[in-house]
Amino acid sequence: MTRRERLPNGLTLLLDPDEAAETVAAGYFVATGAREERPTELGASHFLEHLMFKGSESVPAAELNARLDDLGGHANAFTGEEATVYHAATLPEQGPELLGTLTELLRPALRPADIEAERGVILEEIAMYAEQPAVRVADALRADYWGGHGLGHPILGTPETVGGLTREVLVRNWQERYGAGRVTLVVTGAFDPDAVAAWAGRELASWPGGPPAPAPAPAAPRHPGTFRFLPDENLSRVQAAFALPGLPARHPLREAAAVLAELVGGENGDLYWALLDSGLCDSADLAHLDYTDAGVFEGGFSCDPERFAQAHATFLEVLRRAGEGLTPERVRRAARKLAVSTLLRAETPGGRLFALGMDWLALGEALTTDEQVARFGRVTLEDVRAVLRLCPLAGATGVGLGPGGHPAPRR
Amino acid sequence: MSSSAAPSTHVWTLDSGLTVAFERRRGPGFAFDLRIPVGSAHDPRGREGAAGVLEEWLSKGAGGRDARALGDAFDDLGVRRGGGVGPEATRVSLSGLLGDLPAALGLAADLVLRPHLPPEELPTLTDLARQDLEALEESPPDRLAVEARRVAFAPDPASPYAGYVHPASGTREGLARLTVEGLRAFHAGYPARGSVLGVVADAEPEEVRRLAQGAFAGWEGGEARVVPARFVPGARAHVLHPEAEQTHLSVTAPGAAPLSPDWLRWQLALTALSGGSASRLFHAVREERGLAYSVGASPVVLGGGGFLSVYAGSTPDRAPETLAVLLAELGRLRAGLEGAEFGRARRGLLAGVVFGAESLRSRAAGLTRDLALFGRVRPPAELRAALLALTLEEVNSFLAGYDPLAGATVVTLGPGAADQGTGEAA
Repeated sequence: MTRRERLPNGLTLLLDPDEAAETVAAGYFVATGAREERPTELGASHFLEHLMFKGSESVPAAELNARLDDLGGHANAFTGEEATVYHAATLPEQGPELLGTLTELLRPALRPADIEAERGVILEEIAMYAEQPAVRVADALRADYWGGHGLGHPILGTPETVGGLTREVLVRNWQERYGAGRVTLVVTGAFDPDAVAAWAGRELASWPGGPPAPAPAPAAPRHPGTFRFLPDENLSRVQAAFALPGLPARHPLREAAAVLAELVGGENGDLYWALLDSGLCDSADLAHLDYTDAGVFEGGFSCDPERFAQAHATFLEVLRRAGEGLTPERVRRAARKLAVSTLLRAETPGGRLFALGMDWLALGEALTTDEQVARFGRVTLEDVRAVLRLCPLAGATGVGLGPGGHPAPRR
Repeated sequence: MSSSAAPSTHVWTLDSGLTVAFERRRGPGFAFDLRIPVGSAHDPRGREGAAGVLEEWLSKGAGGRDARALGDAFDDLGVRRGGGVGPEATRVSLSGLLGDLPAALGLAADLVLRPHLPPEELPTLTDLARQDLEALEESPPDRLAVEARRVAFAPDPASPYAGYVHPASGTREGLARLTVEGLRAFHAGYPARGSVLGVVADAEPEEVRRLAQGAFAGWEGGEARVVPARFVPGARAHVLHPEAEQTHLSVTAPGAAPLSPDWLRWQLALTALSGGSASRLFHAVREERGLAYSVGASPVVLGGGGFLSVYAGSTPDRAPETLAVLLAELGRLRAGLEGAEFGRARRGLLAGVVFGAESLRSRAAGLTRDLALFGRVRPPAELRAALLALTLEEVNSFLAGYDPLAGATVVTLGPGAADQGTGEAA
């Protein structure tokens, strides 16, 4: 059972000990991300995530990095639309250093010289992704599908917005979005929960509460249902990506939506047999992503330019006919596969950390691994059909990228 | 707190010659990793892509099940599939729930020993490999990795094997020459002796041995061969890739071999060079100068030899400085490590022993890797003791004689000509 506590300043603790574990993992799960950025400040969330590693007022960057390496080199962070996560794992005897160092990480000095050096690193990161066709097409799709809504923001920002982020803007974003009320410390694996709770009461009590989080703009995708082709004569292959409405994280059919995505886009799914087994495409997939108040089915394929029209038509046809081949047996298989992988992912403290922390941010519930597994086990054929009634996989918004102009097939 | 009771490892050689390493571990799951010592380096010269296409062909039906029935059989167990083809081996990895271990072993054995290899599927599979090659050419870092391999490891003209100069997807010419008969003969050469199966599960050792014996009974196959890696020291090449946003840099240099007494000293030095955010490369290139997002060095073992592979990507006008900093850091290794970085690197390696064995899947892969590289399973306690016995003096004395720059091969890929990019900086 996960022990849950809330400090007076609003910071949440989730403690999930496992006496048999050989390591201990900890993470600060912060309920903030690219979704709430102002349009002129795109990339601020991700920039802040990088700057946390540049040291606090009392610990310079080099020393902080050395302390993180001393834990065994398993520290990292990532920024999403609605969550920013800082995590590390170490051997049990270094548990106190783990918590101390991870907490120091979340007290950034935001020194001007560090901001400039890190701006260069982020511009390199943007350049690195900008030459990957699959990333380019996904970014263009999200812009079309969300139509300027925060859930379509490019997480890294653009060279222009990142170039324009001043220290003042970054400090304001940090003060507004890293208050204790948005922060959850999750600890899993081999540790003493009483000792950690006592430590948190002492060390985290002074974390400023921060302003209340403003209600986010309701997730309303523009979802024009169009297909847009971006010609690029330097490419020899076509990438295409598509989005369709899905279900929000707290929807009771959340797991059924994931099962549907597995049935259509998994390694033994309809798209595999229609597009990969036939050799029409060298990749094809579909996944269900969920946010607090919206969900989306996202998928795509890549193929030779001359096969694009046929691949495009087949992809859309497979989605449209997703309900036709459903049987209790197929649903049971796909659900079992997701249940088993959920169970096996939780075997290490690091795996359990993400399952627990991300579900907590999305659902506001601290689920046991057994419950996470059981939720997949309970999915029925009727549940999957109900998802398709709510989210018929037809009328996708899509973007293609590759050589030549390729009109969309008729629907 | 952590249980320190070291799990014992059982290693058996079955009647067929297949070696099995088993480690008992409590928990609801199992994982195994079957490593067959046939990789893309073993592709017959002129038939580049044979190992990769064959591995895809295996899943098009085996053991009396057609491709769909096979896919459904895997899904019935809910197992997670992994594996693929590397330069020196083909792997089949599965993980799932303990009760499904016998069935999963049976499916893996069907794939490897009893594939149908339907002729009508071969044209589709060679075409998919051709598509993979084209996709690879559109990804600058992947293309650089292939070019670096091609420049740094020359094929042996006297060898029947194509060696390390092509990706697992093959070459267009090689794929065009693959035939049903040729690939079936290639498959018949999968050797039992030299293949290794690592299994981790909460099961009786004798039971696991019996299961493996039964599943892989009758496997004979050919003879395992190591393809020597012939390193070309001091080579330089620049690949023009006009659309690239960044210039990509690769440095390859000799290192210590797994069976050399210097192996752990070299590993420790590499950890200090590139093992974390306080390591030399990360600090000098990213933290101090902001020159790159992606920079790192890693050990690569090919043909029983150890090599150092360094990568960084920077926008073109900054790439010469990035390369100069990389090379300076490699040169500076000779002067030795400081006490603090030695301690940090050793702590990192010690933690890595635990993290590497933590999940079932990583431990199963670790068992086969140990057998393949070291000829035995190194018990974690022994590895920890060996790391704790290392001294700064010992590592620095190794480094005093280690000059990766002397033989380094430098390959760059980017939008400009070599002299505008990085060729001269080398």
